[in-house]
Amino acid sequence: MSVVNYEFRNEVLKHNASLSYCYQCSTCSGGCPVALLTEGKYNPRKIIEEAILGLRDKLVESQDPNPWLCSTCQKCVELCPQKVELTEIFTLIKNLCFEEQKFPEAFYAQGKAVYDSGVAIPYSNSIVARRKKLGLPEIKTASVEEINILMGETNFKKNILRGNK
Amino acid sequence: MTYDLFLGCVIPARLPYLEVSSRKVFEKLGIELKDVDGFSCCPDPTGIELIDHDTWLALGARNLSLCNNNGGVISFCSGCVETLKGVNYFINRDTDVKQKVNNYLKKIGKTYEGKTEVKHFAQVLYENLEKVKENVEKPLEGFKVAIHYGCHYLRPSEFIKWDDPFEPVTLDEIVKTLEAESVGYELKMECCGNPLDKSDKEISLQMIDNKLKAIHESGANCVVVVCPACYQQFEFNQRELNKRNNSEYNMPIFYLSELIALSFGFKPEELGFNFHRVKPTELFESIGFDV
Amino acid sequence: MEKSSKSALVIGGGIAGIQAALDLADMGIHVDMVEKKPSIGGRMAQLDKTFPTNDCSICILAPKLSECYRHPNITLHAYSEVQKVEGTAGNFTVEILKRARYVKESECINCGLCAEKCPMRVEDEFDRELRKRRAIYMYYLQGVPAIMTIDKEKCLWFTKNACRICEKACEKEAIDFDQQDQTITLNNVGSIVVATGYNLIEDFEKEALNIYGYGKFRNVVTALEFERMECASGPQGGHIKRFSDGVTPKKIAFLQCIGSRSDRYKKYCSSICCMYTTKEAMIAYEHDNSLESYVFYIDMRAGGKGFQSFLRRGASDYNIDYIKSKIAQIDIDKDENPIIVYEDYDDGKIKQLKVDLVVLATCIIPPEGIEDMAKLLGIELNDYNFIKTTPFIPVETSKNGIFTCGCVHEPMDIPRSVTEASGAAARAAEVIRGG
Repeated sequence: MSVVNYEFRNEVLKHNASLSYCYQCSTCSGGCPVALLTEGKYNPRKIIEEAILGLRDKLVESQDPNPWLCSTCQKCVELCPQKVELTEIFTLIKNLCFEEQKFPEAFYAQGKAVYDSGVAIPYSNSIVARRKKLGLPEIKTASVEEINILMGETNFKKNILRGNK
Repeated sequence: MTYDLFLGCVIPARLPYLEVSSRKVFEKLGIELKDVDGFSCCPDPTGIELIDHDTWLALGARNLSLCNNNGGVISFCSGCVETLKGVNYFINRDTDVKQKVNNYLKKIGKTYEGKTEVKHFAQVLYENLEKVKENVEKPLEGFKVAIHYGCHYLRPSEFIKWDDPFEPVTLDEIVKTLEAESVGYELKMECCGNPLDKSDKEISLQMIDNKLKAIHESGANCVVVVCPACYQQFEFNQRELNKRNNSEYNMPIFYLSELIALSFGFKPEELGFNFHRVKPTELFESIGFDV
Repeated sequence: MEKSSKSALVIGGGIAGIQAALDLADMGIHVDMVEKKPSIGGRMAQLDKTFPTNDCSICILAPKLSECYRHPNITLHAYSEVQKVEGTAGNFTVEILKRARYVKESECINCGLCAEKCPMRVEDEFDRELRKRRAIYMYYLQGVPAIMTIDKEKCLWFTKNACRICEKACEKEAIDFDQQDQTITLNNVGSIVVATGYNLIEDFEKEALNIYGYGKFRNVVTALEFERMECASGPQGGHIKRFSDGVTPKKIAFLQCIGSRSDRYKKYCSSICCMYTTKEAMIAYEHDNSLESYVFYIDMRAGGKGFQSFLRRGASDYNIDYIKSKIAQIDIDKDENPIIVYEDYDDGKIKQLKVDLVVLATCIIPPEGIEDMAKLLGIELNDYNFIKTTPFIPVETSKNGIFTCGCVHEPMDIPRSVTEASGAAARAAEVIRGG
């Protein structure tokens, strides 16, 4: 049994009011490349429907449909006749999944790299050498300290360090 | 014209040869790119944004605050452009968001007003199409190019504000300017599947397999991309797919800057083509392109 | 009946304008009817059948056209436009521009010899450019008045000073290249009825149809084009054939809400499409009993009397499958068969359906030039650029003495247009009779 969570529904609406414009026409699911490949197991319309109904447990706990299967191609956003900002709503849901520590491992790896070094792909010695050989300039990346301060201000630091699985 | 250059992570730290051709093209066109110290990850709109939107805004705004506002900032990566344009959009759309982001930035002694103009490198090239044309020394005759626009080059049009989200023309125009042929193919506007690499490798592979199949059937002899994520997806997965499905993909993948550099008369060895997994040598020979 | 000294003006010669004019004329009021096109009849003349009775459209319209033409109290100004309106309710002065047809109305017997000889092939607007007409032409076969017209923009004599073949062909000597546009002034006009109908979204915002491949894929057509394809007097002689290969389609997909109910194009419901789509699918089935039709909809809006049973009959007797799903995009296969991807609500699965033809139920939009007309008449338009009216007095515009009916103030079907026309006529008569 799904539980209607009004607080959650209002949280989504507050984050993005366009949710309330949805009239469930299924343009998004019909145009979604991942929905096509998964035969509807991933279905953007259903995610929006569950958000409208406030089904937090379905979206965040059981992740049915799995919001991480969105390829962020933004086709649904362009096609939606009601201009519902689907990917923004999906982003909020995935952010909540991150807080609940329910997210794919690869996101942890990337997040941790940015936390530790300021960049998603740290410069290895061999790449530094290769850059030099190719005649490319040396790159001075961000101060990690600054990045860590910013991530401490948001929930990122807390959640990424908790996610050290 | 001078632009600040935002390199991002993937190109400089994994695919530096793409940086080489891009820098060469801009140099040849007389468009100055200024390196800026202290950039972090943009951050990734298909990664960091999805796990923490506020962090994405804060780091993005920090990067933009470092720009000196010459002609604005450009990037060779569609993901970085999406992030930087997106951060501008969210900050300018809602004063509460701008306030929140600046409260974060205050902790590191920075502010950002949302005024830095962001452009994709292909946009700048398109805006200088005449100059590109003047510099073509070796027309790319025989190149049958399957153009992959990629999602984030175009969408969401709400803040990318560049080219049509479903019927784009800019890259076609650039490719034609080099006197290469742009070959239409089914699924041209579909996603390459790269972002799903992090959450479902199987779907990700299926998406790129479908695209490569359609490109193969169209009679194209190479692919051109403008995003390092798309580039990796096309270039790195062909061997894997061949192994799995007994397919015989051997499709050279070019960065737009590489194609332009070739037409400007740069040599493959100057451009680091030896780093490509699918070497374009065979293509050059088969169409009689004299490098 | 006492004859009134004041007359009424009806702008627009479609079914709404015709009904309003006939009602007024039957009350003994003189009516001047102005129609922009060479013949009256409007959109209804373009339709093959009408719902919910599936009557032949021209068959029920034609008697009204003749009645309008012959009525002693109606003066028909076809191929004309209102260019000036002054005064107030009860006493308007109206100036009409009567465009030259370059054919003598008193002489032409519509024999068609001129058109047979005319060397110019021109896109036929009445047939939605699905076939060509000549530069001298009848607007449509059953058009009233039945007088030929020379299309000045396309005629060789007017464009290149050559030809005049029609002049030689005409046995009645009806061709008159020296004819001039005329200005007609009407004094003592008591009231005005505006019934200038509608355009369709493809007329001015074709980009709304881009994602469905309209214009790019030959087997994607609009509903009004399909109406002409079904029609016995239409470009295919009533044998429905798709444009890529001339083959009769066995599977047709009808896509609803094209441009309507959309935050991107038109926010309102086009109101007639659910019904006309079902009608078109029924008629196509009557042409060929092996036809399968699929109607893709957001939700079916069939709110008229007997309308729901009409849809049920469509499903049970005419092989129409109603599928709740708005279509995102259309692609084609190598044989130009459209492929539709949709979500099946019953099982949440994403399915593909290959069809032979796609028909787009495009949205009604305000008629071309409505802003200019509103300015000319001094009436207000609403947020969607239709004529502004209020829910309880739907036939009154914002200006005294000016009334409206039909699609020019909101999308509606023929029965409602006719009902409103009678309402508008009654109110217009009140002004004249001092009711």
